[in-house]
Amino acid sequence: MDEKLTVRHWCRIASGLVIKDGEVVLHSGGENGVALLAAAYRHLGLNYPKFFKMDALSKAGFVAGEVLLSDEKDRFEPREDRAVVLFSSSGCEADDIHYRETITDGNYYPSPSLFVYTLPNVVTGELAIRNLYRGETSAYVLEKFDAKEIVRLVSEAFVDEKTKSVLAGWIDCPDDGSVDAMVFLAEEGEGEPLKPELLYKLFENK
Amino acid sequence: MENLINDLKLAIIDTLNLDGMTPEDIDDNAPLFGEGGLGLDSIDVLELIVLMEKKYGVKVINPIEGKHIFGSIATMAEYITQHRAK
Repeated sequence: MDEKLTVRHWCRIASGLVIKDGEVVLHSGGENGVALLAAAYRHLGLNYPKFFKMDALSKAGFVAGEVLLSDEKDRFEPREDRAVVLFSSSGCEADDIHYRETITDGNYYPSPSLFVYTLPNVVTGELAIRNLYRGETSAYVLEKFDAKEIVRLVSEAFVDEKTKSVLAGWIDCPDDGSVDAMVFLAEEGEGEPLKPELLYKLFENK
Repeated sequence: MENLINDLKLAIIDTLNLDGMTPEDIDDNAPLFGEGGLGLDSIDVLELIVLMEKKYGVKVINPIEGKHIFGSIATMAEYITQHRAK
């Protein structure tokens, strides 16, 4: 564990809530999953039509990234020093199931637009494309939210000496009606130390 | 034509899995591809070609025509009206 790494900004999306750094950005009236993410997209006044084509996992990553980075200066300047490291339990299983449905009924037509999301790391690519990141990206599938493992793997992302910042966190969408995300920026400098206890505390916000 | 345009928008939303999007979000004349419109790409063209054939019985035979046909919802509807078999 790198003792210098801290978390200054974070975003939590779960249970009809979108929270940034402890402040409620959106409290949706009973909506969750894809409906909550679409409500957040409109609430934030975003204009990125590709959002609607994404599977639930990428939608969650996209909205979490938009909220997390909304105040960042020079946000859309290309950069190689920020990595994207994400974790989930379900991975792209929801999209896998949707895709399978297109190849199992009598009207067989394998959908290309669903197929392109049948990898759990596509969400990291969507974030990198949106924000012009050219650093490392990786996606891990864990059995459950494991803050100790997340801290360990996020810390390892800094080993290459090129990486100065990591957009990291947990994004899980087991089906279109569920979203559970907690993303954060890990960097050196001001902020709370990047420790499992902190991530568990942030994860409790819902 | 208005009914066809709305029908077409619903079919595109369903076919391309544009979850959370409504027909009102799609401008009849906005470009389907590239910036300023739906942001569709080459993969989506395959879906639209199959959609036109399965739902409206319209085949796009000449690839050169594709650029115009898939320019917007309005141009798609116009082509379907002129060639539809269903």
